[in-house]
Amino acid sequence: MSLWKQYLRQGWWITLGYFIILEAAMVAAILYWPRFRDNMPAIAKLVPFRAIQDLLASMEHAGYWPYLAVQQWFKGCSLFGVAAIAFIGSGIIAREADQRTAEFLLSRPVSRRRILLVRHAMLTAMITAPVLVSSVSAIWLSQSVGEAIGWGEVLVSSVFMSLFLWTLVSLTTIVSTYSVNQMTAGATVVGFALVSFAMYLVEGINQWSPFALIDVRIFMDIHNGEYPWWIAGGFILASMTMLHFADRRLARRDF
Amino acid sequence: MLTVHNLRKSYGPTPVLQGVSLEVRAGEIVGLVGPNGAGKTTLLKCIVGVVHVDSGTIEVGTIDARADSLAARRMIGYSPSETALYHRMRAADLLRFAIGFHPHSNISQGLALLDEFGVPGRRRVSALSHGMKRKVLLAQAISSGAPMLILDEPMEAFDPAARKVAIDLLQEAASSGRAVLCSSHDLASTERLCDRVVFLHGGRVLREGPTGTLLAEAGRLVHITLRTPMTANELPQHPGWKWSGNSTNWTLLHDGSPEDVLTSIAMLPIASIRTGDGSLDEVFATLYLDPQP
Repeated sequence: MSLWKQYLRQGWWITLGYFIILEAAMVAAILYWPRFRDNMPAIAKLVPFRAIQDLLASMEHAGYWPYLAVQQWFKGCSLFGVAAIAFIGSGIIAREADQRTAEFLLSRPVSRRRILLVRHAMLTAMITAPVLVSSVSAIWLSQSVGEAIGWGEVLVSSVFMSLFLWTLVSLTTIVSTYSVNQMTAGATVVGFALVSFAMYLVEGINQWSPFALIDVRIFMDIHNGEYPWWIAGGFILASMTMLHFADRRLARRDF
Repeated sequence: MLTVHNLRKSYGPTPVLQGVSLEVRAGEIVGLVGPNGAGKTTLLKCIVGVVHVDSGTIEVGTIDARADSLAARRMIGYSPSETALYHRMRAADLLRFAIGFHPHSNISQGLALLDEFGVPGRRRVSALSHGMKRKVLLAQAISSGAPMLILDEPMEAFDPAARKVAIDLLQEAASSGRAVLCSSHDLASTERLCDRVVFLHGGRVLREGPTGTLLAEAGRLVHITLRTPMTANELPQHPGWKWSGNSTNWTLLHDGSPEDVLTSIAMLPIASIRTGDGSLDEVFATLYLDPQP
């Protein structure tokens, strides 16, 4: 049994669950769109946070696309994505230390770098594949509520969201290589996500939150054909940097 | 096949290995013995690269294991002391996973070994007993096809029948030219299995030698309990005699006949006296009673 297959066996059911929840949430959101559209002014008055009011305002002006972007990528993928990453990804290395299987694994004739890279790639695939599949299915589902969205904008948005999630996967990977306990690693990642989201809701500091990089303005830019190359490049650079430091840490760690 | 020279390792300020050197030749079975905390497991983990050493050299065959740990591990079939394994896997799948990285592994031999040990290959690891997990670990090490076997407590929790099978398998491996380094607290099995024994204490090699020589020495031990405390200088000295112990409990290693010894110590205030039984237990007890390297 190969390294990737062994890791897939550990996490495939969580990936499947994550996909089902993501898809179900998106289907519900799309089917709810007609009622939401009709009640949007009343809903906007009830929302306490300025950042959320801005999101609703953009939906009022631009209609279905920002609504879908918020529901599918900003809310669905980031919320369930963070949960799935914390659940599976926190154990990428910490689980081996936690469950005392590290000695068995690392004494095999396979390099630590290969273990890390294979698992990181598998985890990234397990987190981003459901994003791509569920997002593409939105193209057909949207027709059922009388809306049309294009392949290009959906694919670019999904890839962009996948890059954001990849950055979170890389953050989780580095946290996991430093942790001796999977629970601690998972709690650290969830804590980071919660603090980041709380920052997003506070006016004045919300621009420093990672969630500002995936909010509705970015997806509106994509809708208008202005792609966020610099932000996407930043995600890639941050991921590669964190992966590099995770590799260095794992290479030096005793188990 | 394996040469370890002046190996040092500390965990923070605590030294665990303090200049350990040993050698295991092809076709030889070497036992690594010592009390808990002697550094046995850390030494084995250093050899397989799970733990990084502070200084010293490790050569597996012609490979510098510190410079190229991966190449060294290709030559090592390792059975760890830790039996925490991937509990969702089936025993046969775990075996496949474990040996799949080895270039000359033999999966059918591994599965046959599971059968021989009575481990159901389709049973999940979580449902295996401690002893059965040990059997899976030993089976994967042997069937890895590696020329060097490093086994940490390989027969712990084995029943006598399984122990006999394991000893036969390891002796067969050695006779086919494989080198075996095997740590154990089971001195009776070590005595039966190993060609040489290395005793560790406090991260240092306390004593090493061919098993036959050590057992012969153990047969030349005399344990004496005195009625009144004495120092080493007050005890009778002869060329070829070595005293260890203190106060009223002394052990004499002699190279003469028992009659000569009895004549020479007759003037001592002896409360009790017994001769060694020629076992590794005896060697162990003597070494660790007064462990001066």
